[in-house]
Amino acid sequence: MSSAPIRNEIRFLLNGREVTVRDVAPDATLLDWLRLDRSMRGTKEGCAEGDCGACTVLVGKLTAGGLVYESVNACIRFLGSLDGCHVVTIEHVQPVGGDLHPVQKAMIDFHGSQCGFCTPGFVMSLYGLWMKDANPSDATIEKALQGNLCRCTGYEAIMRAARAISDYGKGASDPLAVERAAVIEKLTKLRDGARVEVGSGKARLVVPADVDDFAAVLEAEPKATIVAGSTDVGLWVTKHMRDISPVVFIGHLEGLRRISEKDGVITIGAGVTYTEAFDLLSQRIPALGELINRIGGEQVRNMGTIGGNIANGSPIGDTPPPFIALGATLTLRKGAERRTIPLEEFFIAYGKQDRQPGEFVEAVHVPVPAKDSRFAVYKISKRRDEDITAALGAFHLTLAADGTVAQIRIAYGGMAATPKRAAAVEAVLTGKPWTEVTVEAALEAYAQDFTPLTDMRASAEYRMLAARNLLRRFFAETQGGSEPIQVSRHQAA
Amino acid sequence: MSKEAPAPRENMGAPVPRFDARLKVTGGATYPADIPVADLAYGVLVTSLVARGSLAQLHTDKAATVPGFLGLFRHGDMAGTQPPKFGVAASSIGPLHGDRIFHDGQIIALVVAETYEAAMEAASLVTAEYDEERPSAGFDTQGTETTPGAGASPLFGEDVHAGDFDAAYAAAPVKIDEHYSTPTQHHNPIELFSTTAAWRGDQLTIYEPTQNVTGWKTELSRQLGIDPNRVRVISPYVGGAFGSKGPMTARTAIVAVAARRLGRPVRCVVTRMQAYGTQTYRAETRHRVRIGAERGGHITAFGHEGWEVTSRPDAYVVGGTIATGRLYAYGSVATHVDLVHADRNTPGYMRSPPETPYVYALENAMDEMAVALAMDPIEFRRVNEPTREPIGGKPFSSRSLLACYDEASKAFGWSDRESAVGSMRDGDWMIGMGCATAVYPTNIAPCAARVQLMADGHARVQCGCHEIGTGIRTVAGQMAAERLGVELTKVSVEMGDSALPPAPVSGGSNSTASVCSAVMKACDAIRNRLFLAVSGEGAPLAGAANSGMSLGNGQVIAADGRTVTLADAFATLQTVLIEEYAEFTPKGASPQALKKLYAGQPEFRGGERDDAVKYAFGAELVEVRIHTLTREIRIPRIVGAFAAGRIMNPRTARSQLMGGMIWGIGSALQEETEVDPRNARYVNKDLQDYLVPVNADIGDVQVILVPETDPQVNPAGVKGLGELGNVGTPAAVASAVYHATGIRVRDLPIRLDNLLT
Repeated sequence: MSSAPIRNEIRFLLNGREVTVRDVAPDATLLDWLRLDRSMRGTKEGCAEGDCGACTVLVGKLTAGGLVYESVNACIRFLGSLDGCHVVTIEHVQPVGGDLHPVQKAMIDFHGSQCGFCTPGFVMSLYGLWMKDANPSDATIEKALQGNLCRCTGYEAIMRAARAISDYGKGASDPLAVERAAVIEKLTKLRDGARVEVGSGKARLVVPADVDDFAAVLEAEPKATIVAGSTDVGLWVTKHMRDISPVVFIGHLEGLRRISEKDGVITIGAGVTYTEAFDLLSQRIPALGELINRIGGEQVRNMGTIGGNIANGSPIGDTPPPFIALGATLTLRKGAERRTIPLEEFFIAYGKQDRQPGEFVEAVHVPVPAKDSRFAVYKISKRRDEDITAALGAFHLTLAADGTVAQIRIAYGGMAATPKRAAAVEAVLTGKPWTEVTVEAALEAYAQDFTPLTDMRASAEYRMLAARNLLRRFFAETQGGSEPIQVSRHQAA
Repeated sequence: MSKEAPAPRENMGAPVPRFDARLKVTGGATYPADIPVADLAYGVLVTSLVARGSLAQLHTDKAATVPGFLGLFRHGDMAGTQPPKFGVAASSIGPLHGDRIFHDGQIIALVVAETYEAAMEAASLVTAEYDEERPSAGFDTQGTETTPGAGASPLFGEDVHAGDFDAAYAAAPVKIDEHYSTPTQHHNPIELFSTTAAWRGDQLTIYEPTQNVTGWKTELSRQLGIDPNRVRVISPYVGGAFGSKGPMTARTAIVAVAARRLGRPVRCVVTRMQAYGTQTYRAETRHRVRIGAERGGHITAFGHEGWEVTSRPDAYVVGGTIATGRLYAYGSVATHVDLVHADRNTPGYMRSPPETPYVYALENAMDEMAVALAMDPIEFRRVNEPTREPIGGKPFSSRSLLACYDEASKAFGWSDRESAVGSMRDGDWMIGMGCATAVYPTNIAPCAARVQLMADGHARVQCGCHEIGTGIRTVAGQMAAERLGVELTKVSVEMGDSALPPAPVSGGSNSTASVCSAVMKACDAIRNRLFLAVSGEGAPLAGAANSGMSLGNGQVIAADGRTVTLADAFATLQTVLIEEYAEFTPKGASPQALKKLYAGQPEFRGGERDDAVKYAFGAELVEVRIHTLTREIRIPRIVGAFAAGRIMNPRTARSQLMGGMIWGIGSALQEETEVDPRNARYVNKDLQDYLVPVNADIGDVQVILVPETDPQVNPAGVKGLGELGNVGTPAAVASAVYHATGIRVRDLPIRLDNLLT
């Protein structure tokens, strides 16, 4: 059993001051708390589901690499998950000595604001970007702004403002840079190693002290809702009015936030966000980097975790198919016991995963594809950026010396009730020469593997056609040198 | 002056940054749902799950047990009030005035509680039973009723005609006959819709984002049966409107009644999903366009038929044939509009309401005709440039369409376009270049304004207009600064309050013209008072002719060069403040025009209503790139050249036109509200699935402001342009897609599956 001391309040820094919240519901969002409880209404609500970015704030947290600020959607960020963080809202980006912040100056000069409702969110997203990259490329700006919609459609002006921010000031004089040391000191003080428990009955939340404590909490309350990034659970609350108590917040657990590579296998802790995983994954498996850039917007990637993407078992989660194609395994833990299973075995049926009560996903292990193998993943969505997948296919091929298929692993999202391997298609391809004839002959087997649904994102017919065409595309790419066929605006422009 | 504003050309004002920019980038701009109100209770709507039938039972017991529950308002609770009147109100459907269900998502109850959370929880516990009937979802579904558009709305009197279309079309050597369609679209401003109602005794204050404070005040007081002077509507900033906040929806009166009954203020913020059924939307339209022409390109016959979806009870008419019938030198014209009534909420105005769908059909057809004639599409338009509009034979007050095409072509490099379809390639990308005309009527309405000038050079402008993002606050201030000769930084502008002098609804791109004309009139009255005072006997500029006087740099300046400071000028009047209240009425306005303004029913002039046709024009040229393998469509660049009379502020004007073109790109490639034909229900009711462009979807956008002077349109010489930029864009994209691929897409939006061969 854990021996962590217990605290009954959430503590964090809000802009310039420390706040203590004792009466906090497990499903209280940061946005509602800011606007309704604190009367801080510079942060806006536009969609309550992490799509529009009007509610963007920065959250600073102490990590192994120091204090890091990231843009997040306050509308789906639960208050309870902020223990020990620094929340920075638009109200904190105020003139120092009457002078506006460089981001704000640029937005004014380039007329990046029309009705102004999305503007605080854009300012916060650009601020978050500028702290990390004072001279970003257009692609970097677009990535940082994927999760901010402007309906007056001032995008062209906003882009010009974003490019010019550094002309208006230097990072060293930025308020968050100036107060950095003080904030680190305050946040360090807030880390008392305690488990936080707030509320009771139907309104209870727990913030475990560490991973062992989390395991203990979950054993005691096996039906608790585990919340890491809240990019999905947030919508259960704001759109579906679901009761999620008791909630266990795990996004802060250092023990789950490690990503490392050993012997050709990348191990990703369940609390690692897309943003945190990006560098290593994109460097070692570039196709995954490309994919991550198309998951949600920057705020969602800053909050959402790969572990959560797997654990919630959605058939349209973007990471399970490529991981399955790569032969990933999953470690689950209950108390002190661990078991590791092939990832595809985790997904049993729609909404049903191989997770026992009291058990949690601890890490996923992703083998880096061998040099002589070929790996690709394709996401199909109506809008290229910030859109939900209609269908996603991942392919991992190893050819034998004679040009026959030694091994091929194919997995799809959006084609079944779970992320699913195309076992019949794989069987037809395996051992055959990797030729167009073989590929065309394998297309029929898709009917054995998949019976997709029709919904507003795509019809069953479209999904089936697209799934088959992705195999053709993968084949075509393997014939045309090493470059994947890509469509990006920068190539187009 | 910032380096980043476009330099003003002839007849353009200074490109100053917007007044409210600082407030907006600091989060300090206060939108109606941000306004603090003491002792606030929170309301949440409960909406219908069926589209047609009646409400049989509403189960509310569970909701009432939620701690903090204060009350539930339902069918019957609006007793003693009048149902909404379609017009200023978004629909005649008064959802709590009866048990009839007219559409999916109709309000069936309002739940009020101490906190937002409690109200949400209580609302989620309300269940309903319905006597359900089979609904009609729109086109191609059973049970719709078709009625003529002509005469159905005060805004659409008749179908326009000219000459003998049938004969001319039959005789034309080259002709096309094609069908086009545009989908349902929702405005989706980023600001959520909301109503806050607060009573103090018998005085009601409404805080709600609106484009029409005066109209709402009047309509709401009519519904509630109280004196309009007891209602005040406040809307200091509006987080995007695009027409959605023009008409008042049924919610406003319901929240007001709830607040009165509970004896405390109530705030109801509508969820993004609920807005799809409780607000208005752009009706889906279908079109048949027939064009007949001589081989040399002269059009001899133009026929445009339109079909538009509307609700059962309300005749909302899109009616864009008024403009398409006048755009070119057609020879003969025949048009007809039909309404298709279905079990849907009532549609409404959405950015460039008539022109966007109708000009899309016309301009797509013009492109097809140019292909049929083997002519360059711009040349085809040049050949059909009219000297007078074809319907009434009236001249245009000004028409710079060809100048717009010239400037846009040059900037775009249109001469590099190879005319053959599919002839331009760049690696794996098929390139297409297309064009289309943008047109929007110059509307204007009566407007009142109060202007104060102080001896120290400060000025204050008050007008019940609305800052919906256009920059009207800034340009009204610029007008005052210019006429009063004071620095813009010394001018303050108050808007968005029905207690201010009334302005017309901020729709139809009339605001800059109407408001600036009123502000100008008030300023000129102040000038006259000053000029008279300083030129009198013994006064500082004694003997100077008033007609040659001006104000500048805080001084009164005589024609002979003599000057007197404002302070001294005011001293001659023994005052420190001069205030003028002006009531502007456009030329041709009826004797009742002012009375109607105060009653919230402004009478519009301009457009095609006057002796000359008053339209603003533009030319949009777009390059599309379509990937040969995936058929993904990208728009790397778009150039638009626009002429709209006097440009008050090139920076805000550019911003409106740029935003308009990007709207047009979204409309061309992404936007569509899907309707489930089985249950007449919107499907993609959120920003997750209602796709609008993101940053990365937009490439280079170039806006050219073409100088134009039109003293005939209105005293300010201003044509509206907020709704000009997006007209034409979807057709230009369709034209470019055809040029790249040879595939003619006639139904919006254009998606890659349209381009698979």
